Amino acid sequence: MGNINFNDENMNQDELSIEEHLILVKEKATSREEIIRKLGSMLFKNGYVKDTYTQAVLDREIEYPTGLQARVTGVAIPHTDTEHVLKPAVAIATLDDPVLFNGMGMPDTKVKVDIILMLAIHDPKLVVSTLRKVIFILEDDKALKNMGLAKTKLEIKSIMINHIHSFANK
Amino acid sequence: MYKVKIVVVCGSGVAMAMHAAYKLREYLEKEKLFTHIDGCGNNELPGKITAYDIVVSNAQVTVKTDKPIFSAIPLITGVGEKELVEKIIVKVREIQEEKNND
Repeated sequence: MGNINFNDENMNQDELSIEEHLILVKEKATSREEIIRKLGSMLFKNGYVKDTYTQAVLDREIEYPTGLQARVTGVAIPHTDTEHVLKPAVAIATLDDPVLFNGMGMPDTKVKVDIILMLAIHDPKLVVSTLRKVIFILEDDKALKNMGLAKTKLEIKSIMINHIHSFANK
Repeated sequence: MYKVKIVVVCGSGVAMAMHAAYKLREYLEKEKLFTHIDGCGNNELPGKITAYDIVVSNAQVTVKTDKPIFSAIPLITGVGEKELVEKIIVKVREIQEEKNND
């Protein structure tokens, strides 16, 4: 496993947190609302978002759905306006069975989603560089596949961190 | 040479428009095309659209316009990205030619 430098001690307030306490593995959920609520409550309990965040994400998902069909699997990236966020983070869930999200830009299409990357962004400009690398995982077939297969939170965190670090070498 | 102005639109302008805009810029720079690319939220689009030649959006564009509109989704998933970029490049060249002849 590569080095993981996202420890709490040296974490910059403006750095995008990717932490085990913000990860769910092979979670059981029967709807997109259920999994958004679970991830939202983790972000809230750990002080990353305000209590208004989860409902704002659910509301936004209706107007601007975030289901995306990547090559290897369906991924959703629920998020909402910056005013609901205190510290930037990405909460990650893999699902036991997929749930349906409406397609981004195509609200009439459904996407079977296995991986959810829930974004808490307080200032896009501050985190854009890391955030872009996170989103690039949609095009990284191997990382996405491995994330779907991962059995532990640490594995999922490592896959994401290694994916992010792989850009530094390019 | 006319500078073709492109706006990349997402739901709230929080993140995805920026990501897609950066990617598109890289492609167009590689083609040495003279363009300007901005990102914006869907709610800002009605006030801004007249300033642009091309719209690339990952939200449904509800503004009435005769400007060419492309989906930004391939720039986010990578699926169908090459085809999308090729289409945008053709459109950019077309607009450039038109404006240069004006």
